[in-house]
Amino acid sequence: MVQHKKLYLLLLPCVVFLTVFFLVPLLVLVSGSIYEPGKGFVGQGYYNFFAQKLSRDAYFRSLSMGGLVTLISMVFSYPAAMAIVRIRSKSLKSFVMTLVVLPLMTNPVARTFAWLVVLGRNGLINNTLLSLGLIKRPERLLYTNGAVFVGLLQLFMPFMILSLISALENVSDDYSMAARSLGASGLKSFWYVQLPLTIEGLVIGGTLVFTGAITAYVTPAILGGSRILMLSTLLYQRASVTLDWGMATTIAMIMFLTTLGLNYALKSLGKVGRSRSRT
Amino acid sequence: MKKNWWLSIVLIIVMLFLIGPFLIIFISAFGNEASLRFPPRGFTLDWFKKVLTMPMFLDSLKLSLRLGIFSSLIAMLLGLPVAYVTSRYDFRGKRFIELSTTLPVIIPQMVAGLALLRTFVMLNLFSIEMTLLIGHTAIVLPYVVRNVISTLVNFPPSIEEAAVSLGASRVRSFFIVVLPNITTGLISAFILTFITSFNNVPISLFLTGPGVSTLPIVMMTYMEYYFNPSIAALATILIAMTVGIVAISQKLLGVSRMM
Repeated sequence: MVQHKKLYLLLLPCVVFLTVFFLVPLLVLVSGSIYEPGKGFVGQGYYNFFAQKLSRDAYFRSLSMGGLVTLISMVFSYPAAMAIVRIRSKSLKSFVMTLVVLPLMTNPVARTFAWLVVLGRNGLINNTLLSLGLIKRPERLLYTNGAVFVGLLQLFMPFMILSLISALENVSDDYSMAARSLGASGLKSFWYVQLPLTIEGLVIGGTLVFTGAITAYVTPAILGGSRILMLSTLLYQRASVTLDWGMATTIAMIMFLTTLGLNYALKSLGKVGRSRSRT
Repeated sequence: MKKNWWLSIVLIIVMLFLIGPFLIIFISAFGNEASLRFPPRGFTLDWFKKVLTMPMFLDSLKLSLRLGIFSSLIAMLLGLPVAYVTSRYDFRGKRFIELSTTLPVIIPQMVAGLALLRTFVMLNLFSIEMTLLIGHTAIVLPYVVRNVISTLVNFPPSIEEAAVSLGASRVRSFFIVVLPNITTGLISAFILTFITSFNNVPISLFLTGPGVSTLPIVMMTYMEYYFNPSIAALATILIAMTVGIVAISQKLLGVSRMM
């Protein structure tokens, strides 16, 4: 028993730190979002959020943007991950893997900045189109939905590729080969054999990309500005520019609840997928 | 087996999409025009000189380095005992410990940033730098715990038991037997936490104050007002730093450890 008391002593500093500096501030936030004295009825903040067009739009834009980024990153990452898994040369494979990991380690501001150079008035795309004579004056590409989409896709695709690589490496080529030798077409063996076996990788990657995309701040702030408001940029605007604490708190809670919901939904989707692969 | 050439084509497109922007930053950092354009018309090194002498960037760089190093060290001191105890023992409340140490990665950082702002900046308990340090430490703690646990799981407890049965105390056997064997794990955890803190925006965004700001935040603010290659030069320096860190850690630990 003495032994065990000493164990708790080892845990104490970390628990105290997280409680005082993380849990308590969060609880303050949660309680503030439900009821603030003198600010109308319980849950008024949530009502106001969905009653206003600006914030409602930001919410649904974040959701649809997150969904689209997830879907497109799946479509491109799956073949890319398959190609990486099939690379025979060990050194080439580790080089390609490094190139995939590198963006994750790089400052997001620096990474997003590149898109300003590509999409700006005097940027790569406008200059190319002008010199080809396809357009007469520079088009506005920045501060559009497309700009935010491209930035988010580049930011989060590595997560999808890496989860798919680890899923694909656990699936032996023999399964697909067996399906093929039994007469299934390439597409059929992919759809009925390989895809169900790698559904977990898709779910993990999808969760990381989706939640990442709807909570990211840097990309929508730089590439979307105040024209393309997302949940995160609206949250910061309310907290720092208009100093509307109640609204900022509500947005934060909605963001948190949405990511929790997504985590749960995608997890159960993965379970359904796996049980179907067994039948 | 049939060669799937179209898989390779998709891979090349994806890699161009992921890495291409880095080349664009690199090229535009040497452009000689006051307003950024691509492709640039002339060549100059002035932006690097300018960036490396601007006090605004230098001060925030120093702050970011300090935060990265100290938040990683504090998180290590707090997280190592937790990782050790949870990987070696079963005890009442273990689930709670596991949950609370993963909480900072589950909660969106923007949410955590706002929570910390509302509680600590409003109460005015600590200096701005201290609040930043607290926020960064909380954010990197989960990475320490997770990485160190996965290292400890691969180090058989029997070796430690041997030391104890030969007469070493628990504490002594930890420092003499366990610690030297998990140094690579600790280094990889440190690299990961340093980078996480150094690149952080959402927490710093809420906690920075007048005159005290981290490098990524200063870069974002600067970009709102100026559209010239100095940010490209700064970004080039940061990317070079990242490439260096990734290369060194790969030599030391291998790619798989970096995730």
